[in-house]
Amino acid sequence: MTINFEDVNENFRRIAITGRIDILGTDAIATKFTALSATANRRVVVDLSAVSFLASIGIRALISNAKALQQRGGRMVLLVGDNAAVAKTLESTGIDTLLPMFTDAVEADKAALA
Amino acid sequence: MNAFISHAIEELSIRADAGEVRSASVWLETVCLKHGVPAALIGRLDFCIHEALANVIAHGGAVALSAPVCLHFDTHRNAGTGGVALTISDAGTAFDPLAARSKVRPQTLAGAEPGGLGLAMMRSNADELSYCNFEGRNRLTFIVRWSESARNK
Repeated sequence: MTINFEDVNENFRRIAITGRIDILGTDAIATKFTALSATANRRVVVDLSAVSFLASIGIRALISNAKALQQRGGRMVLLVGDNAAVAKTLESTGIDTLLPMFTDAVEADKAALA
Repeated sequence: MNAFISHAIEELSIRADAGEVRSASVWLETVCLKHGVPAALIGRLDFCIHEALANVIAHGGAVALSAPVCLHFDTHRNAGTGGVALTISDAGTAFDPLAARSKVRPQTLAGAEPGGLGLAMMRSNADELSYCNFEGRNRLTFIVRWSESARNK
């Protein structure tokens, strides 16, 4: 379970999460994920392409951080790449209608910066 | 003529805590592979078991946390078809997820509230769900089915 980030510039950050986002996994990344996505006016791409399992507790973390970011004038989008399992989870729960979801990294960057 | 080919039962007893949830997932994958459950169904059962156990931990109360949670895996295969019934029983507060009203999906991120996702995920990943409370224990059963023809495509 890892969470890493790359600052493309002061307003644009890519966060990459890997591994199993279950109860333990969410506990392991929650504080860092919130801190990384808390900056005002920041655009954030969260890369879930290397996530092996996404439970409801992990989805709640995505939503709460995306909401907080939006309230600060920022925007979060999700990158799933070719991870069909995570894409299916997000679609079946309707989260893809709340948080834009992309399979292509360039498109995700564009949407975050739009 | 009875086309019955195989039937197997596996059981596990765990504590209601987060570390044990991951142990339950490992056990589930092991017994599914042992009994030839298709990979796609293992993933669906993994969601069911995780969300059910998460509910027990979060909402079952003190009794749920102090008593064992029992997992009962029952699989059968016969001519061309197979199925798994996975039952999770706990001593926590009685709760029938089948009776819980589905949450209305929010239309905007601002309107999204936490909660209800776990039930939705259990419902979408199981072919059939059943619940009873017997002798003070919640018994929630997930059923998934497959056909050999679909598996081999």
